[in-house]
Parts: sequence; C-alpha cells; structure tokens
Amino acid sequence: MSAPESAFERRLRRLPPSFRPRERELPGSGRQWRIETAVLILVGLLLTIAVVNDVVLGTHVNHRLSADLRTWRAYTGHDYKNVSTEQDVLHFTTVDVVCGNTVPGPPKERTQICLQMSGPVSGGRRKIAGGWYVGPKHEDLRRYRYGCFGTPKAKGDCSR
Amino acid sequence: MSVAAQGELQLPRTRATQWAAPLASVCALLIVAAVAEIVLDGALGHSVLIPKSPQIAGWLTGIGERLGYRVFLIALIAATVGYAGLVAFGRSVSKRWAIALLATLHAIVFVGPILLSTDVFSYIDYARLGVLHGLNPYTHGPIAAPHDAVYHYVGQDWKKVDTAYGPLYTLLSYPFGLLGVSGGLWGMKVLATLASAITLVLTWRCARARELDPVVAVLLVGANPLYVIYGLGGAHNDLIMLALMMGAVALTFAGRDAPAAASVIAGALVKATVAVLLPFMLVARRSRGLLLGAIGALALGVVVAYAVFGVDGVNIVAALNRDAAFVSSDSFATEIAHLFGKPGVFPIDHDLLKVALVVIILHLLWRTWRGYDWVAASGWALLAISVTSTWLLAWYILWPLPLAVIARDRRLLVATLVIQALFVVHQMTPLLAPVA
Repeated sequence: MSAPESAFERRLRRLPPSFRPRERELPGSGRQWRIETAVLILVGLLLTIAVVNDVVLGTHVNHRLSADLRTWRAYTGHDYKNVSTEQDVLHFTTVDVVCGNTVPGPPKERTQICLQMSGPVSGGRRKIAGGWYVGPKHEDLRRYRYGCFGTPKAKGDCSR
Repeated sequence: MSVAAQGELQLPRTRATQWAAPLASVCALLIVAAVAEIVLDGALGHSVLIPKSPQIAGWLTGIGERLGYRVFLIALIAATVGYAGLVAFGRSVSKRWAIALLATLHAIVFVGPILLSTDVFSYIDYARLGVLHGLNPYTHGPIAAPHDAVYHYVGQDWKKVDTAYGPLYTLLSYPFGLLGVSGGLWGMKVLATLASAITLVLTWRCARARELDPVVAVLLVGANPLYVIYGLGGAHNDLIMLALMMGAVALTFAGRDAPAAASVIAGALVKATVAVLLPFMLVARRSRGLLLGAIGALALGVVVAYAVFGVDGVNIVAALNRDAAFVSSDSFATEIAHLFGKPGVFPIDHDLLKVALVVIILHLLWRTWRGYDWVAASGWALLAISVTSTWLLAWYILWPLPLAVIARDRRLLVATLVIQALFVVHQMTPLLAPVA
C-alpha cells in the first residue's frame, strides 16, 4: 500500500478496538450469525405466507371471474370472447361488473350491457344483482350509463 | 463404530454418487426440454406471453402450438425442478457437459422469439429516437416518434416514458438503432447472449479464485430458469450490468482495484443498481486505487453523458425515483399488503421500505468493515433491493445470483434461490383456477 494509505491505516488503528476495521471476521461464538439467521428465517416465513396467501387470493378471484363470464354469457345468450370484467379494487368487495356488446361487433363499438354480479359462486355461476346499458364507444362510467335495473336502479347508479 | 456400521453408512453415499451423474443428466435434459417447449410454442406468436414482434423466429413455427399459460407454467415448473436437481447433483457434472448444457440453452433461446417482455423494443426505440429522429431519449419517450417502425411493439405502459437506463447503455444501443427493427432485435439478442457468456466465464474465474467448484457455480447461474427464460429470453440489459459487475469482482480478486471500480461505474452507467457494490468494495479494500478508479470513471462517464445527452443524461436519480414509485403485482410489498388486507402499496409503504433498505445496507456496511465478505454483503444488498422494491420483475431477482454462488456466506445463495422459488410459485395462480 502507498504512503498516504499507510497514514490512513495508522489513523484507523487509533480507533477503539471495537470500531477498527478487520481483514477477516473473528471466529466468535456465532451469536450474531444465529440472530441474523433467525431474522432471515422469519422474513422468509413472512414472504412465504404472503406469497401463498396471494396465490390463494388470486385463485379465488380467477374462479369468481370465470363464473362472472359464464353468467354473463348465459344471461345474454351471446358467446362473446371480448367481454370485460371490472372488480371493485377500491373497497375490495366481491361485486364485479361484466360488460359486453348487445349485438356482434368489435369490443365497445356497439351498445353494451353491463351486469353486476355478487354473492358466492354456485354451480359455476353467480347471482346477477342488476345492471345497466352503456352507449357505443363509451367506457363504463356513471355519466354514460342508462336503463339501470335491479340493485343499481335502487341505488341510482345511472345518470339517465 | 463397528466396521459393519461404517459400511452401512457408506453404502447410501456410494449409491448416491453412482446415481448422481445420471440424475444430473436427467435434470439437465428436463431444463432443455422445458426451455425448448417454451421457445417452440412461443415462435408461433399470438400469445399473451409473447410480445408483439417482427417474425424473427418464423422458421420455427409449425413445430409447436400456441403458447398458453398452462403449458408455459408447466414448463417453468419442470425447468425449476430440473434446476433444483442440478443444484443437488451439480458436483457430478463434468466441465464439458456443463459447457454443452449452457451452450445449448443459450442457443435455443437465441434462435427463438423475444419472451415475456417488451423491454427490448423500448431499448431499440430509445436508440432510434437518438440516431434516426435526433431526439434525446432522456427527455422524450417513444411517443415522440409514433410513426417509427418499432413504436408499435413498445409496451403500452412505456410509450410515454423517457429512458431510465444509464448513458453508457444508451450509447451502446445507438448503433442498433440503425439496423432496422429486426436487425436491432438480433443485435440486442447477440448483445444479451454475449453478456451472459462473459458473466458465466467471470463467474467461473471468481469461483476458482475462491477455491469453489466452478462447474457448480456456472450451472447455478447459467441454467437458472429465471436467468434463461426471463433474462436471456427477453434480451434484458441486466445481463450487461451483471457482466460488468462480475468483471469488477474478478478484477478485485486479481488485486486490480482501479479497473474494478471503473467496471462497477460502467455497470452503473448501464443500470444504476449495481452502484451498490462500490461502498462495500471501498469499505473492504480501503484502497486509494479503488477510490481514484471510481472517481475517474465517474467523471469520464458524467462528461460524456453530459456532452451527448445534456443534464438529463446524468440525472439518474430522477429516473430512479420515478421508477421506485411503480408497483407490480409480483412485488413482495404488494403481496404483504394483500396479506394484511390492504388493496395495494401506499406512499407510506414506499417510505417504510426505503428506510428498511437503508438500515439493511448500513448493517451490511458495518459487517463488512468488521471483516464480513464484501461479495456476500453486496449480494445481500442487491437481494434486499429487489425484495423491498415495489416494482419487482423476474430479472431483478437475478442480480444477486452470480455473487451468491461465489460468496463465502452460503446463506445468501439459499436466500436468493428461496426468493426465486417464491417468485415462481406466485406465477402459478392461472394453473390453479383457469379463466374461462
């Protein structure tokens, strides 16, 4: 090492022993190693539980969305592929809204019927709480909704 | 212990040794078959797992079927199981077989389509913005040239976003912008494959320098399913960063501190994350050469970046802050939020995660000061960055892997592989309840 670095090293040697740098760790009792390992195992457990929980959650959501699509197709009698499903990600409820065209055409290019699904999956389908219509080329926003029926009508979810 | 008892204990070990080589071969074949399945099916396109792309793997179409989630996930599981077997029996694999396996995996992915990510199209778009449209990719996103041939292929989320990559990478990618979309794509594939090969060669050298089994070390990196399918498959520039990172480690092992520091800085000018190695190197080596090498390389990088891209080209912190605010469904932060009944990650969670990361890095720096292996400490820091990131992608959890295989602390390797396994498990949802 060069001369100035030696001066630096000399300065480091003036530090109290517990603050001095070491080239290698001292072979000690391994207490620190055990604490670190315990923390790592706990973190690993937390992450494992979180991942498994997320997979289960995702599986239930997929199961529900599958049933939503099946219910929409059965109700409308249209076997369309391009049907959009929206979850209530704001309040984390299981109320989903499924929208699709009322007549054949590109997605959202025709009048759409939106159905509000709720409750558990039974026989591969869910309960339809109500719904509304949305004009062509419009997103499912409150200001574009009309002809509400069922629960949405009672709650005044339509602007018209 | 009696002779008979000794014999009973040795018998399974002998059997295990006898079976190790054939089992390792089966595991290697399983990985090759799984990767080939993904590539051949992916070549057909029209899959949510394969980004829209020019037909660069057209000659492979007709062999496979359209790649669906189910087949992809089963192949991913098969590759993971094969890899686990290879981790267990890796010692019985010869040098020649290991090289043959890695070359085969690289070749299969090289000839196939781009897998699972549109990032490579962003790389090409940024390069074309610079060389064809005269625009600065640090102030303009792909949307600035919407009629460019590659714009159509850029991911929807990234069309309005300026580049977050380092100026060295942006300059390196500029020549590929002149090659057309397909030419640029092949160029990026060559670059990724070359970077991967360099990473593996350097991992080999570093393992040998530390008196570890180099064959096991390169197999653990190069046959890793996430490395092959996501990293190489997507031709990610993370592979260039890893090559420069391993270059820095190899140079440090050779006692060449100044070039080692320059290599870390070069890596950080590709992707900033790797800069985290530098404080650990400085604390462990306490060498003036290292400090001067880092300052010199950084000064050169900043001058060149400023000259070419202006102040936005050197303000990497702004890009990092922007990206740190993104949230992906695969991030552990999101999963923990769901576990505690929250819909997702909130701004306070970002702050808590940043504090946790700072605490971890300070602890690791103190440990390194007191003699802990700086390679392991750097690996832990990279692992901590990926685990605490709210924007976690498969190729981010590859960052600590080459360091983990050469670190003196084996816990790092276990932790890295556990995190990768958890990532794979998290992908399995569509297998359990398919959407109609």
